[in-house]
Amino acid sequence: MPHLTLSALEKRYGAAAPAVASLNLKVAKGELLGLLGPSGCGKTTTLRMIGGLIPVTSGQIDVAGRDVTALPTHQRDMGIVFQNYALFPHMTVAENIAFGLEMRRTPRAEIKPRVQQALDLVRLPDLGHRKPRELSGGQQRRIALARALVIRPSILLLDEPLSNLDAKLREDMRTEIRDIQQRLGITTIFVTHDQVEALAMCDRIAVMRAGHLEQLGTPHEIYEQPATRFVADFVGRANQIAATRDADGTIRAGALVFRGPPGPPGQVTALIRPHRLGFAPAEGGNTAAGIITRVTYVGDLLACTVDCGGVSLTVEQPTLPGLPTPAVRDQVRISWRIEDTLVFPAE
Amino acid sequence: MKPRTALLLLLPALAINLVAFLAPMANLASYAFHGVSPSGAILPGLSLGTWAALFDDSFYAELILTSVLTSLGVTALTLLLAYPLALFVHRAGPRTKNLLMVACLSPLLISAVVRTYGWLVILGDHGVIYSVMHALGVEHPPKMVFNQTGVIIGLVQILMPYMILSLLAGFGRLDPAFEEAAASLGAPPWTVLRRVVLPLSLPGILLGFLLVFVLTVSSFITPKLLGGGRVFLLATEIYDQAIVTLNWPLAAALSLVTLAIFGVTLGLYGRLARAMEQA
Repeated sequence: MPHLTLSALEKRYGAAAPAVASLNLKVAKGELLGLLGPSGCGKTTTLRMIGGLIPVTSGQIDVAGRDVTALPTHQRDMGIVFQNYALFPHMTVAENIAFGLEMRRTPRAEIKPRVQQALDLVRLPDLGHRKPRELSGGQQRRIALARALVIRPSILLLDEPLSNLDAKLREDMRTEIRDIQQRLGITTIFVTHDQVEALAMCDRIAVMRAGHLEQLGTPHEIYEQPATRFVADFVGRANQIAATRDADGTIRAGALVFRGPPGPPGQVTALIRPHRLGFAPAEGGNTAAGIITRVTYVGDLLACTVDCGGVSLTVEQPTLPGLPTPAVRDQVRISWRIEDTLVFPAE
Repeated sequence: MKPRTALLLLLPALAINLVAFLAPMANLASYAFHGVSPSGAILPGLSLGTWAALFDDSFYAELILTSVLTSLGVTALTLLLAYPLALFVHRAGPRTKNLLMVACLSPLLISAVVRTYGWLVILGDHGVIYSVMHALGVEHPPKMVFNQTGVIIGLVQILMPYMILSLLAGFGRLDPAFEEAAASLGAPPWTVLRRVVLPLSLPGILLGFLLVFVLTVSSFITPKLLGGGRVFLLATEIYDQAIVTLNWPLAAALSLVTLAIFGVTLGLYGRLARAMEQA
């Protein structure tokens, strides 16, 4: 039985298009589900409805088989980590963490050790007496996580928990949140607009667009078998080629001709991930001749822009010692596997 | 900017303050230490007679106590009424907020004298409230004007805009996310108010309390008109002593007492504000 079920969940503001439209989701116990999409796609609205921070227009939210749709936030037993931390500025870190326990009438003698446990969990054991404003952004983030976890909520809701952090800290926190979530086995909903974050952390990802669920799947499915052009474009990078498809699956974009999966003929958009393009010949795959127009070196990757008969394709190669470095105006042949060509009807 | 230039720029303000504030204050202080003839003429030669009279007559002790207590009551009532309103305005969307601000502050466009006369009409013996209560079958509706009740009602209404402004100015730290966080941790609405909203709005409450208290103690027209000569407060008594009885030394002494009350209030405010900043 799923731990959290959203049934035909909808949120409307006035007569405008719904912020969230007929959303159906089932989240298993202990699963980390990511809500991924650009700003305004309804992911935060969905999270806020689950947390009871905004009322639903229609639909139902069930937690462990119980309908919680009409329950106010303080009776829902959910831990929420807010985008701007929302640590109470007039309380110390320890008081912040103890707040939820006090609300649950936890005996005083038990509160102290549990606060300490929570601090240990986020690896900030000595900061209990500080005020939130004396902490760094990363530390505040962890305390907010500790405060939400200490009450042992039935569901943990994370609203962009890694935004406003610098890149290095972000990566550390990513692993840390995932570790803690796995260790506690806590069902978690994670809202993010960052596809790398979603891919790296989530068991499953729900990609949203304009209030609708675009695709639901494992990170692997989302990345390798995107259901729509939007998903393919939003998750990961891709070369986009406007083209036509013949009945036999041949795809033509100007002078560039290649094969893709079969499908109805007509105007299409073909997408190819830059790192699936290579200069080494691929057996039985697509090949195209072109001229390098730009080379960008970013340390671990070398991105070459190649002009193939009027179509510009970016090829990404890992930088390996001993490999010849391509240069601008080099004549090259690029190749890729047929199944790496993703084709969607033109919009 | 060089310190000398800064000093030079400060000179005009300093000069104005010297002539228009400090000198009259010194003059006022000196009146309080002179005697007075029955005709109102200030007698030459220093005397502590006025102060002796002030401390001897229990009427003045009572006057000061009533003034302070009434002002505290008016301030507390104003706070109680203005707080939910200010909270509502603070949470409104930007456009609604501007509209509500204008609505809250618009009473300030009408002179306090006019508003006080308005209250006379509303609370008076044949006013709206009296008539309604009478029509509802109340034989002898309570008197609401020319007594303490009238003064309090009038002052609360007239001073509310100042309280709302101060509260809003002090609500800077009050982010709705804190309330949401508290609710998510299991706090019911009243607990959220008590544990999160109130502590975070303390700076505004303190500022509003200071401002409205000082304005109440020094308010004169409203108590004078709505009190009908039966409510004795510091400001009205100072007026009576200076204009009716022509006892300027006593008026000056009472003014200095009022000033001392302000001094103590400001000192307390400063101490509390500092304690809050460190908290």
